[in-house]
Amino acid sequence: MKVQRRRFLQTVAMAPAVSAAAPQRAAAPPAASAPKLTNALPDEDAQTTPRFFTAAQFAALRRLGALFMPPRKGRPGALDAGAPEFVDFLVSVSAAERQQLYRHGLDTFNARAHSQFGKPFAELDDKQADTILRPLIVTIAWVLDRPTDPLEHFVAQVHDDMRTATVNSEEFAQAMAAINAGRRGRSSGVDIFIKPIDPVYRG
Amino acid sequence: MLQKEHDVLIVGSGHAGGMAAKVLTEKGLSCLILEAGPEMDYQKDRVTKSAHELPYRGFDKPGRLPHVIQANEFNANQWVDEKEVPYTHPPDAWANWVRVRLVGGRSHFWARQSFRLSDFEFKPSQLDGGVDWPFGLSEVAPYYSRVEAIFKVSGRKEGWPQFPDGDFVETNYPPDSGTIRKFTEVCNQRGIGVSKMRASQGQNGLASSINLLLPDALATGKLDIVSNAIVRQLRVDKNTGLVNGAYFVDRHSSREMEVKAKVVVLAAGSLESTRLLLNSGLANSSGLVGRYLVDQLYGVSVVASVPEARDGKAPAGLMGGTALVPRFRNLKKNEGHNFIKGYCINVSSGGSASPHFFATYGEELEQKLESYAGSCVTGSIYAERLARYENFVRINKDVVDAWGIPVIHMEYRNSQNEYNLAKDAADTIEDLFRGCGWDILSKSDRSFPPGRSIHEMGTCRMGDDPKTSVLNRWNQSHDIKNLFVVDAAGFVTCGWQNPTMTILALSMRASEHLADLIRQGAV
Repeated sequence: MKVQRRRFLQTVAMAPAVSAAAPQRAAAPPAASAPKLTNALPDEDAQTTPRFFTAAQFAALRRLGALFMPPRKGRPGALDAGAPEFVDFLVSVSAAERQQLYRHGLDTFNARAHSQFGKPFAELDDKQADTILRPLIVTIAWVLDRPTDPLEHFVAQVHDDMRTATVNSEEFAQAMAAINAGRRGRSSGVDIFIKPIDPVYRG
Repeated sequence: MLQKEHDVLIVGSGHAGGMAAKVLTEKGLSCLILEAGPEMDYQKDRVTKSAHELPYRGFDKPGRLPHVIQANEFNANQWVDEKEVPYTHPPDAWANWVRVRLVGGRSHFWARQSFRLSDFEFKPSQLDGGVDWPFGLSEVAPYYSRVEAIFKVSGRKEGWPQFPDGDFVETNYPPDSGTIRKFTEVCNQRGIGVSKMRASQGQNGLASSINLLLPDALATGKLDIVSNAIVRQLRVDKNTGLVNGAYFVDRHSSREMEVKAKVVVLAAGSLESTRLLLNSGLANSSGLVGRYLVDQLYGVSVVASVPEARDGKAPAGLMGGTALVPRFRNLKKNEGHNFIKGYCINVSSGGSASPHFFATYGEELEQKLESYAGSCVTGSIYAERLARYENFVRINKDVVDAWGIPVIHMEYRNSQNEYNLAKDAADTIEDLFRGCGWDILSKSDRSFPPGRSIHEMGTCRMGDDPKTSVLNRWNQSHDIKNLFVVDAAGFVTCGWQNPTMTILALSMRASEHLADLIRQGAV
């Protein structure tokens, strides 16, 4: 028994550190360091392809983005920040409930625009759009509350999503950097990001 | 085989487990910590980024952490993945369970608010009802003092029985702003005391098990910490009924392992410690393991705007700063409210208005937001939820986590007392703000779902009677004398105060008692 164990240990000691299937050629020793290359963010060179909403829904979404987040005082608006395109992506990866909220909301805006003005919501002027939009905006006192009416809920949700997608955009960050140039302190939207910590490899 | 048999196995490495390890190793006992999570490397695992650099532009992946209100795309990786370790609750009883699995546990991320409980919490039966703890403040006070010395707690002494003073480090609060002075004056006119936040300073902005407790324990040479070790079940000696170790699974490989120890100390966080007892079928002759789940109610929002601070015209020193109003309700019998217990008010000056406070949009809204920016004062509360038998956790045998361990099922609801209390708080804060001459922008008596405070307590409550409690006055199981639970599972009531100082003080107290018992050969 003892002998067998010793033989086993010898076998282990002589075995290569990696399996036999690995290349026999000795690998070059790893470099001690390598240059850190600057990577561009995708939004610097590309734009999101909207693919979730229909063309009619997406046109209404863009119009809502422009109404909720107009450009002002050197800061980009929702359209400059690619917010509608980003929201299309975000809703496409969201729960069915939110997808339905958006589709129903955008379809209803278009339906009301057609019935009241004979054209889609995207083609209404500001005054016409206001007659449809303003009655659906309600105040919310508690941060987690949302209106029970699905259209009011939709409007509150679009507003939140457009605002966040705009102020968290690269375009907005660059504009704020220019506005705040020379001022001390960390710009808003900057924080410590925690990477995945020792994640389990699941194959 | 290299396997050692330790004197004490400690499950969990947060504040409770870290304190147990420090006390026991410094008394010469050999300890092993099993920690379910990995170690976080502050240099490699953290990096500064802008929201636009994140894959979901700061929204995070939709649906990733539905029970973690605190989660955002920056910190999402620090919380336990709900798909990996799920739990269940009835659809009508949404309750949050916010967990961290790391060496050091949640002690990395706590807000460092550092309060003592008072005899209003330890001995409630005399005043407005509830079950008493098996001891009062005078018993715990010496341990609070020693914990405060380790954690370097700042605070202002007040001499109020409902807000016991600690042994504070010298604290230089900046002068109160004009709004905080005004608020204090109006509160005082109504007989309500206003104090300052009390907070652990720790070292270099960190007041954690990983820098204040575990290094001392490791320095004794008596502690091994095994990370990524997910304890499945406790190990029991069939002849004596005592626990003698644990079975665990390696987080990365799912390799099943076991360790031996003479004593087991659970410090996994209230609900994980309770889950382990229930999955092991141990220490439950009372039938109360899992019962009397409690945490603080966080909620109520009253936002006022200070007229002279609008349109960017606030004079220097008017806005900014915070105030803490410790519990002031039901400090005397028969105050005539439609609720028992109380709440503290947190006031913060210098904030801005939410877009949802105004029923408008576009340029008109932006102008309002600009006008109100920096002019707002907000009030919210931490309140004591009642410890009730009906609020509980049990094991859901039909659902297992990623390592095949049956999960927690939680049933946790507010009682009418909480709703009545929150309504009183919203009305009271509104009245105080109006008394200051400020305009109310928004008022809500709503609260976050139970569990939002990340302060879950109870489910193995302490007491002198084994029929009505799970642990004795030393955090020791009534049923199994070499089994201790030193986290907040032993709490009888929760108070409105952040529980960390009490967890630390009671873990210190229980661990010193345990060391005495081991020396006497009594366990």
